Amino acid sequence: MMEKIVFFGGKGGVGKTTCSSAFALQSAKSGKKTLLISTDPAHSISDIFERPIGLEIVNLRENLDGLEIDSDYESEKYISGIRKNLHNILSPVIVEEINRQLDAASVSPGTQESAMFDKMIEIINEKSSEYDQIIFDTAPTGHTIRLLSLPELLGEWMESLMKKRRKALKLKQMTNNIKGDRENITESDPILETLGRRKDNMEKARKIIIDEDRLSFVFVLNAEKLPIEETKKAIKVLEKYNLKINNLIVNRILPESVQDTFWKNKKISEKKYLDEIYTTFEGKKIIKLPLLQDDMRVSNIDDMAKKFEGVFE
Amino acid sequence: MNKIMENIKLFFKGATDYKGKSTAMLEKEANDEMDNFILICFADNLGIPLPISYYTLELLPYLAEDIERWSGRMMDRKNIWMEKWGDYDMDP
Repeated sequence: MMEKIVFFGGKGGVGKTTCSSAFALQSAKSGKKTLLISTDPAHSISDIFERPIGLEIVNLRENLDGLEIDSDYESEKYISGIRKNLHNILSPVIVEEINRQLDAASVSPGTQESAMFDKMIEIINEKSSEYDQIIFDTAPTGHTIRLLSLPELLGEWMESLMKKRRKALKLKQMTNNIKGDRENITESDPILETLGRRKDNMEKARKIIIDEDRLSFVFVLNAEKLPIEETKKAIKVLEKYNLKINNLIVNRILPESVQDTFWKNKKISEKKYLDEIYTTFEGKKIIKLPLLQDDMRVSNIDDMAKKFEGVFE
Repeated sequence: MNKIMENIKLFFKGATDYKGKSTAMLEKEANDEMDNFILICFADNLGIPLPISYYTLELLPYLAEDIERWSGRMMDRKNIWMEKWGDYDMDP
C-alpha cells in the first residue's frame, strides 16, 4: 500500500508532471479517490488533461480530482479576508493606514511563496481524510525542500512570538491591576489565539510530513549527469529533515531498437548512467519509464498510467 | 514637635511618590514590550526579512491601535527624550 501523500520532485524538465499525472490516473483507476495538485507556478497539468484546471478543486476523471494552486489567488483571498476583519473592528481612519501596509504586502514576492505554502498546509491538513491519495506535482527541487522544511521553522517562530506576546500582556496586566482593572487580557487575546491556531496547523502538518507511513517522496530523473547529481544532493538535504526518498523514476529511457550511430552512442552513455544510478541509489525502488514518441496528452495518458500498474502496490 | 510632623509628612510624600514612580516604570516596561512585539511582527517594514511576515499580516487588525500609539510616540521626539531620561531616573 502506497503512502497517502506523495510528492513528485526532481530537476526541471525531467518529466515530473508527466509521471505524477500518469501515476495519479493509475491510482484513481485502482479505485482510490485521488487528488492531483500542481504547485509549480508554471502549471501544466491542465495541458496534459487538455482542460482548464482552476483555482478550486475540479473533477478530471472518475475518482480523480485536480487543482493547480494559484498563489496570486490564494494571497488575494487571504489579504481580502484581513481587510474585511479590519472594517469589523477598527475606525475608518486607522483602516486606511493599515490598508496601505496590506497593499505593500500583496505585491511582495515573499507573499506569493507563503500563500502557496499555506495552501499546501491547508490541503495536507484538511483533505487527508477526504482522499485516499494526494499527489503533489512540485516545482523544481530547491523550492520543494524549502516548503517541506517550513512547518518546523515557522512553528518555532510562532512559538517565540507567542512567548513575547505573553510577556507583554503580563506586564500590561500588572499595570492594569494597579489601576484596578482585573480583567484577564491574556485569556481573551485575539493575537495569541490567532498565532496559536497557526502554530497548531504547522504542528499538525509537520507531523504528517515527517510520518513515513503517510508521506513519501518520488524523485524523477533521467539517465544523465546533471539529474543524477541533483538527485544525490536532494536526497541528502531531505534526509537532514528526516524525509526519506525511497522511490526513483528514471524517465525517458531510450528504446533498445535504436539504429543510427548517434542514438547507439546515446544508448551506451545511458547504460553507463543507469549503472551509476543503480549503484548510487542502492536499496531504493527504481522504476524505468520509456521515452515517448509523442507528447503526453489525454489520448495517451492511459497507456502511460498502465506503466504504474502494480508498481507501488 | 513641628519638626517631627514635617518629617512624617515628607516620609509619606516620598512613599506615595515612590509608588507613582514604580507604576510609571512598570507602565513603561509594558509599553516597551508591546513595542518590541510590534517591531518583531513587522520587522519586514524595516528591511529585516522575517519568515513569518505572511502570518503576522492577519494580526494587523488587532494591533492597529497599538501601532498608531507606537508611531505617535516615535514621532513625538520630546516624549522619547522624556522616556529615555526616565531610564536614568532623571526628571527633565
